Order: sequence, then structure tokens, then C-alpha cells
Amino acid sequence: MTTKSARRSPARPLGGRLARATLAFTLAAGLCLGAAACSSSSGAGGGSITVYTYGDGSTDIQQTAVNDFNKTSKVKVDLVVVQGSDYTPKLRAAMGSSAAPDVFFNWGGGSILPYVQAGQLVNLTADFSQAPLKGAFLPSIVAAGAVNGQDYGVPMRGMQPVILFYNKALFAQYGLQTPDTWSAMQAAISTFKAHGVIPFALGDSDNWPSLMWLEYLVDRIGGPSVFTGIQNGDTSGWSNPAMSTALGDIQSLIKEGAFGSTFTSTGYNDNAATTLLGTGKAAMQLMGSWDYSNQLTNHTAFAKNDEAFTTFPAVPGGVGNAADVVGNPANYWSINARTKNLSTAVAFVEYMAQASYEKALLAGGWITTNSDTASLLPSFPNPAFGEFQFQMVQKAPAFQLSWDQALPTTVGTPLDTEVGKFFAGQVSVSQFESDMASAQKSDSSS
Amino acid sequence: MTLAAPRPAPARAPRRRGPGRRAARVGRPRLTWALPGLLFFMLFAVVPMLYSLYLSFCGNWGGIGSAHLVGAVDWQRLVDDSTIRQATRLTIELTVLSWLFQTPIALLIGVWAAGRQRHRAVLSAVFFIPLVLSSTAISLLFKALLDPNFGLAHAIGPWIGFSDGNILGSPNGALAMLVFVGGWQFMPFHTLIYQGGARQVPQMLYQAAEIDGAGRVAQFFHITLPQLRHTITTSSVLMVVGSLTSFETVFLLTAGGPGSATTTLSFAMYQNAFADFNYGYASALGTGLVVLSTLLSLLMVRFTGFGSMRSAREGM
Amino acid sequence: MRRVAIVTSTRMNTDPELSGRATRRRRPLRARLRRANPAAGLASLVWLLIVVVPVYVMVNASLMPQGEALGGKLLEPAAHATFANYQLVLRSGFFHLLLNNVIVTVATIAIVLVLCVPLAFAVVRARGARALLVFRVFLLGLAIPAPVIIVPLYVMVSKFGLYDSLWAIILPTAAFAMPVTLLVLVGTMRDISEELYESMAIEGASPARMLVSLVIPLSKGGISTVSVFAGLAAWNGLIFPLILTQSPQNQVLTTGLWNLSSEYGVDVPATLAALTLSAIPMLVLYLAARRALISGVMGVGGK
Repeated sequence: MTTKSARRSPARPLGGRLARATLAFTLAAGLCLGAAACSSSSGAGGGSITVYTYGDGSTDIQQTAVNDFNKTSKVKVDLVVVQGSDYTPKLRAAMGSSAAPDVFFNWGGGSILPYVQAGQLVNLTADFSQAPLKGAFLPSIVAAGAVNGQDYGVPMRGMQPVILFYNKALFAQYGLQTPDTWSAMQAAISTFKAHGVIPFALGDSDNWPSLMWLEYLVDRIGGPSVFTGIQNGDTSGWSNPAMSTALGDIQSLIKEGAFGSTFTSTGYNDNAATTLLGTGKAAMQLMGSWDYSNQLTNHTAFAKNDEAFTTFPAVPGGVGNAADVVGNPANYWSINARTKNLSTAVAFVEYMAQASYEKALLAGGWITTNSDTASLLPSFPNPAFGEFQFQMVQKAPAFQLSWDQALPTTVGTPLDTEVGKFFAGQVSVSQFESDMASAQKSDSSS
Repeated sequence: MTLAAPRPAPARAPRRRGPGRRAARVGRPRLTWALPGLLFFMLFAVVPMLYSLYLSFCGNWGGIGSAHLVGAVDWQRLVDDSTIRQATRLTIELTVLSWLFQTPIALLIGVWAAGRQRHRAVLSAVFFIPLVLSSTAISLLFKALLDPNFGLAHAIGPWIGFSDGNILGSPNGALAMLVFVGGWQFMPFHTLIYQGGARQVPQMLYQAAEIDGAGRVAQFFHITLPQLRHTITTSSVLMVVGSLTSFETVFLLTAGGPGSATTTLSFAMYQNAFADFNYGYASALGTGLVVLSTLLSLLMVRFTGFGSMRSAREGM
Repeated sequence: MRRVAIVTSTRMNTDPELSGRATRRRRPLRARLRRANPAAGLASLVWLLIVVVPVYVMVNASLMPQGEALGGKLLEPAAHATFANYQLVLRSGFFHLLLNNVIVTVATIAIVLVLCVPLAFAVVRARGARALLVFRVFLLGLAIPAPVIIVPLYVMVSKFGLYDSLWAIILPTAAFAMPVTLLVLVGTMRDISEELYESMAIEGASPARMLVSLVIPLSKGGISTVSVFAGLAAWNGLIFPLILTQSPQNQVLTTGLWNLSSEYGVDVPATLAALTLSAIPMLVLYLAARRALISGVMGVGGK
């Protein structure tokens, strides 16, 4: 502030530069406020429905399906890809507001339980008893999308068992055997460590990839009943001896360098772990079958030539069946009960039963969950892998849904965080068990 | 900055009762002028705070359906929760470390920059680069650079004691990076504050000291620092309150990890609310944070005299 | 900023713009050496490096194709420089992010000014203890950090039907910028001498006229300071857009950058290209209005 402006008589009204600046600013502000008003809530109603899907690098197939659907539908579908690491919170926040999606991606089980309990999902049982949904999908898969015997989800992606992927070229280079037994796996770990290759790529910073290790170990050591008990509300299951042994085994694996040394800041959602495997910096990865799709897109040569797959080994002394599988039976579309375009939403989810969609999924590296999948397997990009995965799921005595999706989110997400803390060495075995037990106890919806 | 009146005050307009009082009243706005602003602020800042207090007594409300008063369950849990105690400890550590990292450097460079004229252009350009990038951009930049597999961490890690480049993946490394990135981002801001403060120190004092034979170091400690007392307080308080509630850097750079090694209070709040869907507990945590922050703010108001509306010129 | 006339051998002028033009007397070498501050000089040099290197890597690596960056050699100048990453970012809806950001920023500044200028005027000029009370309410508001009330704010915003709209960002951001704004404006208006008010009062000016003709012109400095402050808060804000918006069309620069960096994953050059692009608007503004920006930042903490 200089003295110049004070010398101008204050009685004279605003003039010149100040007035023009004010006018310009007011116009700009007015325009912006107007623009803001026009860009208000996206949401159901009118000429379109919103569909939320999980963003993990393989959403092109869904986008193509949406484009095809929109060609013949009066009410258009707007596919919103929510980035994976933020999917569950965003979905929850949106469902609690007026801008909720009409249709959304989920994992069945505990992931839709709170919405069902609040009456926010459309019951699809009747739709499953008529064409085109009737008999289109494998019954066990449809059942995994049900709550209390009522169907709430239509399968929209392939089956996703967790598989042990490995680089067969590297294995051949070091003369190692397929890591489907514990001793072979241990031999591989020590050999790779000695040669500066990360034995297992692990996206630990996202937490849920590490959970897969716990899931398989507990199953192999104590059988599926350990977790089923927990799922049914028995919090003492967390201190089951099988759980403690599994946790101890993980500590040993970490100590012997099975995951390298940078796993605590390596993620999966940003493709870091997948890239480590795809570029030969790591030799193996325990991951859901969707990773094959990822590799096919990002490291095609590796996926086609060097990538191999096997089952998680049995653990010596364990009572679990080595053919048990953990993972996601499928992903589902569920419909928001508050949708203003129910018929379009139903038509969209029924589109999943279309042969064209099924074929697109297969071509993209997914083993579909349709009833006729077996006959279409030869069209899978890697027929051997397709056959392997299909048989794996068909023959599995038990297919356990990922724990963080089987449990309600209010327990599942703390579980992920706790697993992250465990892998980082910040909680002990007993602390993990008591933390999880109290997290489950204090949750009101379980 | 006092401005000279454009003409001398009329001789016969002393302030006194009667017509004089009315003259003094004319032209004063009524307090209703403050109403729109006040109401707006109350709606978007004060009401949520009260609502937060209410929610903290609503137990495990998850955002679906409506909330019901349940009791002081969450407050009980808050007191017993070891994670929260750890988060509090981490928050205090982060705050203190940030202050220790930023203040001496900003002070040194700010005072130096106040005197030097020659390299000002280069200096100001350089110091302003971090201000041009948003907090989000800076955190994402360092996240990419510090990636242990595909960033610079592998190259520079060994120099600072992390042979495998796993800086963000170790608890100490992650905390150190939070302090560093926070400093990288806010150093220009605080340097400018100190520069502005140092410019106002009367040169005469330095002159006198030089004549008395005081060296540069003595001048710094006996003249510069005392004169900058007010500025140091301002900068420190901004730094402390900012650190206590800083969320963006933790969210983007470490996501509270590895594990929960950098889960500060505000991140724990976010996690409880939007990852675990424990709105009641998160509200209790939030309300506690507000109380802490309010105490600090009151101290700030008391200590620096902001509360009184005296002009800044007074007392100079 | 006082001038001391007695000593002629030392520059007393602390106004940076004038110093360059004023004639400088070469001081004797010994005196210059004594004035030199090697510690601070060194610190500045080191800090210069610390600031420049990440920015250099950001721009350098953004020009690399992804394969080259996977090799980890980000420090070396890009061997096969390409603009492909920038094209990718621009194709990913970058301009839309920029537009949303501008809308949010201008609207926030507008609301803050429209509400706070009369508010500050009232606080400064109105009689009675209630004026002080109003001021104190806002000061307490300084203590309320945004992350803390985000939960009830989210619930409220949903109930108002504003969830996932730009308003959901604008309104809370404006509200949270108000305490500091009021602080600065009150300080500025308080500096306007009482006599000016009285002379206008004697002329029979209404409060509105006083505001428009006297207070606003004389508060230009404070108004630009708070505009800068509120503008920066809106431009760079993350937590409100993060929690209160969702769909791609309502993303602003900050949430957009986060989304893009997540989408690009280990494609580090693409992420860095996005970050570089996001810095350009502010850089342009900085170059155009450097003094206003700097004094704006200094004004917040200076008093």
C-alpha cells in the first residue's frame, strides 16, 4: 500500500483499473459458479445408468461389452472405472449418498453383506430362474454371490483361483524342479536368493497379496474348517494352532529372504510385482489367475513363452487337502435397489450370459464361470493354462473366498492392515491373533 | 502502515456525546453484515464439528442406514487403543523432526537471502519451484523416485544407509522421507517468512554491533534471533499445526506404511472412517484431534497477540 | 523500512527492486569477505541441489519411453527422448482436469471474498463486544483441520445431495479458507486510519459507500493476499475432492494426478509427464505475477 492511493479523494467512487478488474473477476466467477452448478451430481436417473467397476488393468473387456450394449439400449450405460486401491471405500461412500451407482462390481460374500442387510440390493433370485440367466453359470459360482440363499450377484468375470506362477525359463536355467512341493519350493528359494533373483514377487504394500500366503498356509496346515469357523463368528478361530503355525511359517519365509528385501514398498495395484515377474527380476509369484491377463497385456512375450503355473504345495505335517483352492470364485454385478432404471440395469447384467461376452473374456485370458466353459476352453490363448485352471477349480474340494471379502468390510479391511503390519514385523504372532479377534468382536455386523 | 489523512481534521469536530455520538455512529456497518459469512462458516466448519462429537457417541455406525446414540463406547476404545497411542507418538515425532529439519535451514537461508541482492533472481526461482508444484504432485514425484525397483531409490539408497534401496519400506526410512518431503515442500514458504522478517531488522543494530567488534556469529545470535522472535513464533506455529494435521503426504507417499509405521493421527482417522468404515470411532478420534489442535491454536493466539486487533504497527 | 542516512559505505536500501538500480560502491575486499556468510552460502547451494535434482529427474524421465526407464537409469539424460508420454497424458483427459481445477479455484476465491470482505469490515467497524466475539469464533476455526471433520462433512454433503459435484469441493474449501482470510483482512482494514472513516462519515457516507469507496481500494494488498491464499488452497486441495467426489468428470488436478499415477503404475515416465504438466499453469502464473504471489505468501505469515 503506497501513499498514492490515499491521496486520491476517498469520496470518488471506484474508477479505472480497480473497477475493471472487479468487473472481470465477477464475470469469471459467475461463469465458474454457473459451470459448477451444471456439473452437479452424476448419478442414476434419466437417460443413463452408472456402473462401477474395479480398476486393475483389465477393464477393456467390460468397456467393450458396455459399448456393445449401448448400441441397442435406449438407456445408456456409463462405465466408471474406480482405481483398485480405492474401490471399496469409494463404493461405500457412493452407496451412502445420492450419487450411488446403479450397478457395481463386487466379490459376493461379505463384500455385499452390509448392503443386503440394509436392503440396498435388488434380489435377483427370480431372474436366475428364467432365461437368459437360468443355467447359464456354474451353480457353485452363483451360490458364492448369494446371501442367505438369495441371489444378489451375476457373475461378470472369470474364476480367480490363486495360482503359483513361475518363470520356467529361470527354473530351467538353474536346474530346478516345479515348485509344487514344499522341498522344491524351498530349494528354489535358496537358489534364486543366491543368484540375486527375488524368489517370490510380493506386492506387500497393498496388503491383500500377502493375505493369500496366510490363506493357503492355514488351509494346508489345518484344513478349510479353521477359517469357516471364523467366518461363522467363532473368534477363537484366530488362535487356532494352525493359524499360529502358518504365521510362524511366514516369519521363517521372510527371514530366509523368500520375498526379497523390498517387498514392504512393492505394490501390486501399480503393477510393480507383476512387472518384477514379467521382466525376470523375480522368479515366482503367488497371485490370482487374473495376473495372467495382466502379463498378457504388459509382458506378452513372457506370458506366451516363459510363464508357467502350478498349485500351492502341501505343507509337511499339515492336514489340509493339497487340492483346496483359495481365491475369488468370480466377480459379480449387483444392482442398487434405488436405481431409477431397473429394467436397463437388469438387462445389462443379463448381458453377461451372452456368448459374445463369454468369448471375449476367454480371449482376454479369463476362465469363465459359464456352464459351457469346458467346451470353449480350446479357444483360450494358452489352452494348457486354461485346462489347468478349470480342472483346478472343478476338482477342488473347497474353494475359499479371499478372507478380506468373505468377512464383512469392517473386519476385512482391518485384516488387510494387520497382515501388512505382520509382514513388516510390527506385530507378533500372538498380537496378530488377539488384534483380529478383538476386531471381529467389536464389529457389530458379524 | 498509517496513511496520512487527505486534509486536516476540522477544528470543531471533537468526539463527544450528543450530535457527536451520532456522527461517530454514521457509516458504521451493523453486525448483520457479518451474518452471511458467519452462517456459511458455521454451516461448513462448526456444525460438522458438533456432528462429529455426536457421531463419536454412536458406536460402530458404518454409514449405511442412520446413526443412533449408543454411548461412550468409542471413547473407551480410544483410551485403550495402542494403535492410537502409537499414532500419537508418531505424530509428535514427525512434528518435532519436521521443525528441527526445516527451521534452522529456513532461518539460515532466509536471513542470508534478505541481505544478499546479487543472486536473488536465481535464489527466488529455485526456492519457488516447490511452491509451484502441488502437495499432491510433490508426494507423487517422490513416491515414483523412491520406488525400490523402478525408481532412483536403488541408486541413492546405498549412500544413505539403505543398501537395497528399500527406503520407503523400512519404518525409519519412511518417517525420514516424510520429514524430508515435507521439508522440500514447505522450505520455500518458511524461508520467505524469515526473509520478510529479516528485512525488517534495522540495519543500525548491525552497524552498531560491527563497530563494537562483534563477529558475524555473535551478531546472528544477539541481534538477528531476538529480532526475529515474532517471526519464528509465527513460522513455528504454522509448522506445528500443519504437521499435526498433515494428511496428504502420508496418504500418497507411504499410505501409513510399511504396516503402520507412519500411521499418524490424521491418517488413522481417515483409515478408520473410509477404509474400516468405523465412522463413530473415527469421529471420536477426530474430536480428540480438534481439542488438541484448539489448545495449540489458543496458545498461539495468546502468545503472539493475534487475538487483539491492534494494528501491526503498534509497538514498533 | 527505514533508511539510515548517516553511513554511506553500506547499502541500506532493503527494497529489492531498487537495489539493483542504485549505484553501488565497491566495498573494500576485506569488508566484503567479512560480510560473506559461507555457512549460509553453502547451505543454499546444497539446498539448491536438493531442489533441482528431483525436478530435473521429473522432466528428464518424463521424456523417456517406458522401457528405458525400467532400466532404472533416471539420472542420465534421456537417450531416446519422446513426447509420447505427454501425448498419453493429454489424451487421458488432462484438459478436463485443468478446467475443473480452474472452476473450483475461481469459485472458491469469489465466495471467500464476497463473504469475508463485508465480514471483516463489520468486525473492524461495528461497535460492541459482539464484533470481537465473531472474530474469536473464526480464530477458533483456525484450529479445525480439514481431515478431522471430513466424516461429518461427508455425511452432511450426502444429505444435501451435493455428493460428487464440484460444489462439494468449493463450499468446504471456501469455508476453511475463511479464518486466515479474516485474520489478514482484519489486520489490513485495521490499518486504515480512523480519520479517513470520520471524514467520510462527516460527508454522510453510508457504510456501503465506505466499504466500496474507501475500504476496498485501501485493502487491495490484503485482498490480493487472501485471494492468493484461498486460491492456492483450492488449487492444491486434495482431501475434499478425494472424499467428496467420485466420478471422472468431477475430478480435479490433485485427484486426477493420483488416479493417473495409479493407472500408469510402474510406467514412471507417464506419471512424471502428468506431474510436469500439472506444474505448468502455476509456473506460468508465477512468471506472470511473481511479486503478487510472493507478497501474497509472505503476507500470510508476515504479520
